[in-house]
Amino acid sequence: MTEKRKELFKTVGYNILSLIVVGILWTLFSHWQHSPFFPTLTTIWKAFVGLVQYGDVEHIGLGAHIWASLVRIFAGFAAACLLGIPLGLALGLKPKFYNRTRAILEPVRFIPPIAWIPMAIVLLVGFSRYVFLIWLGAFFPVFITTLLSVTRVNPVHINVAKVFGAPRWYIIRKIVIPSVLPDIATGMRVGLGIAWMCIVAAEMIGGEMVGVGRLILKYAELIRMPEIIVGMLVIGVIGFFMNEVFIVVERWVFRWRSEVSID
Amino acid sequence: MTSQLVDVNISKKFSKMDVLNDISFTVQENEFLVIVGPTGCGKTTLGNILAGIEKPTTGHVRIRGEEIDPHIHNISYVFQEPSCIPWYTMIQDVTMGLTIRGDDKTKSVARGKEVLKLVDMVGFEDYYPWQISGGMKQRVAIARAYATNPDFLIMDEPFGHLDAQTRYLMQIEIMRIWGQEKKTVVFITNNIEEGVYLASRIIVLSKLPARVKAEYKVDLPRPRDLTSPEFLKARAEITKECEVVE
Repeated sequence: MTEKRKELFKTVGYNILSLIVVGILWTLFSHWQHSPFFPTLTTIWKAFVGLVQYGDVEHIGLGAHIWASLVRIFAGFAAACLLGIPLGLALGLKPKFYNRTRAILEPVRFIPPIAWIPMAIVLLVGFSRYVFLIWLGAFFPVFITTLLSVTRVNPVHINVAKVFGAPRWYIIRKIVIPSVLPDIATGMRVGLGIAWMCIVAAEMIGGEMVGVGRLILKYAELIRMPEIIVGMLVIGVIGFFMNEVFIVVERWVFRWRSEVSID
Repeated sequence: MTSQLVDVNISKKFSKMDVLNDISFTVQENEFLVIVGPTGCGKTTLGNILAGIEKPTTGHVRIRGEEIDPHIHNISYVFQEPSCIPWYTMIQDVTMGLTIRGDDKTKSVARGKEVLKLVDMVGFEDYYPWQISGGMKQRVAIARAYATNPDFLIMDEPFGHLDAQTRYLMQIEIMRIWGQEKKTVVFITNNIEEGVYLASRIIVLSKLPARVKAEYKVDLPRPRDLTSPEFLKARAEITKECEVVE
């Protein structure tokens, strides 16, 4: 237990140390450059405080931007999971059906979300535009990992249930689903990352003036780097913490897995 | 008096390759039948067909004259591979067959504890598979197979993954368990000594495509002594049969 705790302190300590090192390098470089396009950490900090206290050029506070983006991310991500997981499970259980229809789904995977922007503008309005673009990014990682993990369920585990005369629903509920859940969680984590990566594209066409992506775009028009960097860092840091929370939950839920529990 | 429980008469082909070539034998009630055969002769396929989870290309497996079906018959199978369900605790794992059957929960748990005791795993009820050793996992698999009081128990090289010492201990164990709760067992192995130690009767399979090459009754008293002259004689006889090249 203490050994574990020590290791945790070490990990956190080294992470803080490496952040400090990067901070120093950044500072050195920005002083050497002395350019408004490569601001110092203090300038970035001031921009951050300004955004929190006075809001952006339209007096919209940073909190409001973050909240708006979070809501959109969750809506798009939830849509991706609600569709991707059941569809992945269903097609994983019916691989023939998937193989015979894959020409529909597979090509869509390679179309970047940004390429969908014109169609989204024409066909959708308001909130649905955000949800659609984020869903596009998050859906495939969730769907594909679910689909593939079903085919990797250990056949022995299924046979154990079969020999006892288990009905199909028992095998799906008690064997297939528990065995694919860890993979689904991984797919969800990847999907969540991509959802954040789509936020700028989504807020480019959403119409509303609020959202972290919108904030970056606004200041991009003004070529004001400090605020742009604040927006970038906000996305990075929120994404990071979401991922960490996800990992903690995963470890707890899947504590039956040795790979996770041993460390 | 013993009566015939299982009647086997099967052939199996995978695409065009013959795997099991007209295998036929019967299993008597409460008999410990051992099937020995070289690796890769289709023993696991035979086990799967006996358990009703694979279909023979032609022929039948019948229990009391009725085509075998896991939904109808009370069958248990100890797999060659480690088969503990990773997300089940030991007690959940051994009561799995009872849960599927829809047995009363308290009764199932009581029976689960009973079979864990039978395999000497008391106190491990709430452990997960990753927390126990390979030998223990195999004991749990045997306990799980016993829990449902099967009419027909198939074991497919259950000790194949274990080290020689654990394997030997498990053989003693399986005989003790079989002595305590008599069952009709088909035990598949590639180890002749193991076969002679356990069997009431041995069926020797040939290499691929497998057919029944010979059949032996082993009448030695139990527990058997691996070094007694009678044991060695029986072993030598069967080994010789296995070496015959056609």
